[in-house]
Amino acid sequence: MRFSIYRYNPETDAAPSMQDFDLPDADVAPGMMLLDALRLIKVSDETLSFRHSCGEGVCGSDAMNINGRNGLACITPLASLKQPIEIRPVPGMPVIRDLVVDMSQFYHQYRAIQPYLIVHDPEPEVEYLQTPEQRDELDGLYECILCGCCSTACPSFWWNPDKFRGPAALLQAYRFLADSRDQATAERLEALEGPYRLFRCHTVMNCVDVCPKGLNPTKAIGKIKKLMLKHLI
Amino acid sequence: MIWRASGFRAWLLQRLSAVYMALFIGMFVLHLVLDAPSSYQEWRTWMALPFITVTASIFFAALLIHAWVGLRDVIIDYVHPLGMRFVLLALVAAGLLAMGLWVLRILMMGGAA
Repeated sequence: MRFSIYRYNPETDAAPSMQDFDLPDADVAPGMMLLDALRLIKVSDETLSFRHSCGEGVCGSDAMNINGRNGLACITPLASLKQPIEIRPVPGMPVIRDLVVDMSQFYHQYRAIQPYLIVHDPEPEVEYLQTPEQRDELDGLYECILCGCCSTACPSFWWNPDKFRGPAALLQAYRFLADSRDQATAERLEALEGPYRLFRCHTVMNCVDVCPKGLNPTKAIGKIKKLMLKHLI
Repeated sequence: MIWRASGFRAWLLQRLSAVYMALFIGMFVLHLVLDAPSSYQEWRTWMALPFITVTASIFFAALLIHAWVGLRDVIIDYVHPLGMRFVLLALVAAGLLAMGLWVLRILMMGGAA
């Protein structure tokens, strides 16, 4: 099985390059995921760097660009990929080394939407209660693992990563707007106003296309716009 | 107003102008299909009807607003140096304004003749 993997060590390399690797077919077990193959390759070349942790699509560490498409290596079956399998870091982010990118800007945008409940009333002595219907509103929003596949596939995020919040952060912005327990709707909407933070989204929908958890940031962004309209009227 | 339409207002104006343009074009095409003017004179008379002059004027205003928001979006996306962005935005604004005045002149002259 043939691989072409992006290699770059900013401390020693003048420029990034693609390196070919061959994995003997005997090593490829049926049902094997891309991450398993990368770990085998790392046995033969321990300088190859990539992030990974849980290995089952829950932690979101191993987002990478696989044959031109962002995804999680740990839940991408090898059998589904055309050879040579071309692996690059997620696009638009500063490369630290090989497939490891600096996610600071992505996390900065996430923190900026205040990803926590804001309550102005005195805290209740019991739990915050929600009806099952109110809880259902959060489905399709809370499952985000912040792997960054969506934001790094978004052209608007490539051009303005410092000002546009990006699909991942906006999905979470709506997650808290939709939460019946949150009391900061007006402030949150106000914080998304302006030409950049929300409105750089041009519904390209790359985010929906690549999300490994099957979430729909574009739909959430549309719902934020609808909420803004409701607040205007 | 439009100059300061930042995020939400610009987006809303773009949607509203799109809806109006779709309705107007539908009405316009329907008229051309069902009751096509047989001569230039007839066409001019129809265009000079107050209802048509007013709705057509609004149509072109909507078109210019729509174009302004869209082109401004493209420039905000891709042109980052502020000086360059300002020059391009000014050029677009001047071009759209000139077209608007031209359209207005045509519509008003049509009414006068």
